[in-house]
Amino acid sequence: MSGVQLDGIIKEYGAIRVVHGVDLQIKDKEFVVLVGPSGCGKSTCLRMVAGLEEISGGTLTIDGRVVNRVAPKDRDVAMVFQNYALYPHLDVAENIAFGLRIRKVPKEQIAQSVKEVAEILGLTPYLERRPADLSGGQRQRVAMGRAIVRHPKVFLFDEPLSNLDAKLRTQMRAEIKRLHKRLGVTSLYVTHDQTEAMTLADRIVVLANGRIEQIGTPMELFNNPINTFVAGFIGSPPMNQLKGVVEAGQGAPVARVADQLITLPPLKELQNAVGREIIVGIRPEHVTLDNGKPGTPVRVDLDLVETLGSEALLHATISDTPFVVKVETHDGVDHLSGVDQFHFQTDRIKVFDGQTQKAYGYTAGEGA
Amino acid sequence: MMRAEDTPPAREQDARVPGAAKARLGAALARFLFRLRQDWQVYLLLAPTVIWILVFLYKPMYGLQIAFKDYSIFRGIEGSPWIGFEHFETLFASDQFVRAVWNTIKISALSLLIGFPMPIILALMFNEILKDTFKRTAQTIVYLPHFISSVIIAGIVITAFSPSAGIVNTFLQWLGLEPVYFLTKPEWFRPIFVGTTIWQEAGFQSIVFLAAIAGVNPSLYESAVVDGASRWQMMWKITIPSIMPTIIIMLIIRIGNLMEVSFEMIILLYQPATYETADVVNTFIYRQGIVGGQYDLAAAAGLFNAVVAFVLVMTANTISKRLSRTSLW
Ligand SMILES: Nc1ncnc2c1ncn2[C@@H]1O[C@H](COP(=O)(O)OP(=O)(O)O)[C@@H](O)[C@H]1O
Ligand SMILES: [Mg+2]
Repeated sequence: MSGVQLDGIIKEYGAIRVVHGVDLQIKDKEFVVLVGPSGCGKSTCLRMVAGLEEISGGTLTIDGRVVNRVAPKDRDVAMVFQNYALYPHLDVAENIAFGLRIRKVPKEQIAQSVKEVAEILGLTPYLERRPADLSGGQRQRVAMGRAIVRHPKVFLFDEPLSNLDAKLRTQMRAEIKRLHKRLGVTSLYVTHDQTEAMTLADRIVVLANGRIEQIGTPMELFNNPINTFVAGFIGSPPMNQLKGVVEAGQGAPVARVADQLITLPPLKELQNAVGREIIVGIRPEHVTLDNGKPGTPVRVDLDLVETLGSEALLHATISDTPFVVKVETHDGVDHLSGVDQFHFQTDRIKVFDGQTQKAYGYTAGEGA
Repeated sequence: MMRAEDTPPAREQDARVPGAAKARLGAALARFLFRLRQDWQVYLLLAPTVIWILVFLYKPMYGLQIAFKDYSIFRGIEGSPWIGFEHFETLFASDQFVRAVWNTIKISALSLLIGFPMPIILALMFNEILKDTFKRTAQTIVYLPHFISSVIIAGIVITAFSPSAGIVNTFLQWLGLEPVYFLTKPEWFRPIFVGTTIWQEAGFQSIVFLAAIAGVNPSLYESAVVDGASRWQMMWKITIPSIMPTIIIMLIIRIGNLMEVSFEMIILLYQPATYETADVVNTFIYRQGIVGGQYDLAAAAGLFNAVVAFVLVMTANTISKRLSRTSLW
């Protein structure tokens, strides 16, 4: 049992509060990803868990023990840094062994552990090289090795892949996932990249301006975002959002977006809501070029077609609001340049309050 | 700025053709003029340094020939007859010069041994001070002597060690010991001199190492903290190895300057009674050449000094290149 629990964690730099009471419970062996835009306080949260930053308020519990005032070395956590933090004057084996040496682990045991870790990470041929003679991916692996070798209760990752190129990032992402499956160590992983969050996480925590917006499994966040921020952050490309006003429809509620009417799902918040400002949200994947399912056709001005291979992105505007649609390309792409109308599937539409930005019909834990 | 296409074609083949050398020279000149026209701004920026080096470092070398001549100001450099190594023979036959060489080596070795690690230790200590205001105050205090004129520093030292009113002797008397006239005792000259120069320069020299420490990636320390390293371990396992290239470069430079014992400080602190340990090559040159008017002999001594320094810096650089992959060039 090595859970981590944050209760009302606060961080203040002087008079400025950058983390406003974060509540989060990470279960044993769980992989939790903290995601949010740059500067929202992700690293600060992680560093408070590591003990590199003092906690200004709240309680941090690791493995059932309150560790607010416990030194980093006694928290039994290991951290992987964005720039790898490898010692340039030590070779790979010595880098991996560093934490054990510091703890005065017997020599034979260190050698054994280093050997095991190197095998897990495929570093055996490079043990005698210095970091300067390694590729980015290999350095990343050494950094992971340094964390793994200590068998900590908790792994902390601060944007460990952001210094790698796109291809290597995808590869290392899969490797981290595999490693977590194999070792099953409780992990807290920080990233600004929602794709990384979606692919790695058991649960994602979306952070904005030092506050948690939503916690949930990747699919919960994708299908059931709590507000426009999460809707706009999770998913690639993110959910389209159109400003509109509720109007009385025949049977079902409708939204007027500029001069067009869009049929909305029958949510209870939309009853007797005529005249209310709302935001109509729909994911790029959930708009079709008309396939007969119940929905509304919407006129668009097509701007650009981006062909990705099996998919294409149609960039358009609806009454001057940018709008992106993702379609499959098994019918070719030639006909796409003539598109002037999208088909909104009614049951896929999300409705958010125009004032509070909160989702209508939201119930926690739905859509997993 | 050497570009492949600038290389004259078929250089090898026409090497034996008469006039080829002349043609090659012409081509090189044309190439130089072409570059000058193209990048004249860059050369303009370079010019002051080149002129300075030529005027102050290379032109005086012309005068070096008097080390091998029986020079007199009346005959001039050109007019003085060559005498080969006679001055060097005179020098090495002179007890005074040999003594000055040994004194230089001893003082330098002591300075290097104690004076070189001092700024590094200071920098490491400053790095461990966590409170900013205290750190800044401490730094200012140790930098201060560097900005005081050597004359004043020497004055302070002379006063402090004076047998009548000096603080050192007052303290000795307070302990019930006999006062010592330190500055007339040859055996005290070296410690006093080395101590003075360290006091004067160690703080200021620590800036280089502080800058090197500031350049160490902070996440190395954070990572070590999470791994459980103490501050002492971080100093030994991270800070010192990280600034080792800087330490080595500074050591090479220092070794190159080994023969250049702080000349003015010696002049200010020594007296005939302490020549036995205090007279170094530079002060010997000063007394023979400037005071005694034996320019040719002084030039020979100076040349000897320079050759030794050159050999030292080359050796240090080569050894360092072999052992640590760090070198000046
Ligand atoms: N030492 C500090 N002093 C003052 N403000 C800081 C300090 N460190 C971080 N901050 C502020 O805290 C906020 C969160 O930073 P950080 O946790 O690094 O964000 P990120 O989510 O990008 O990792 C930022 O607005 C940053 O400016
Ligand atoms: Mg960060």
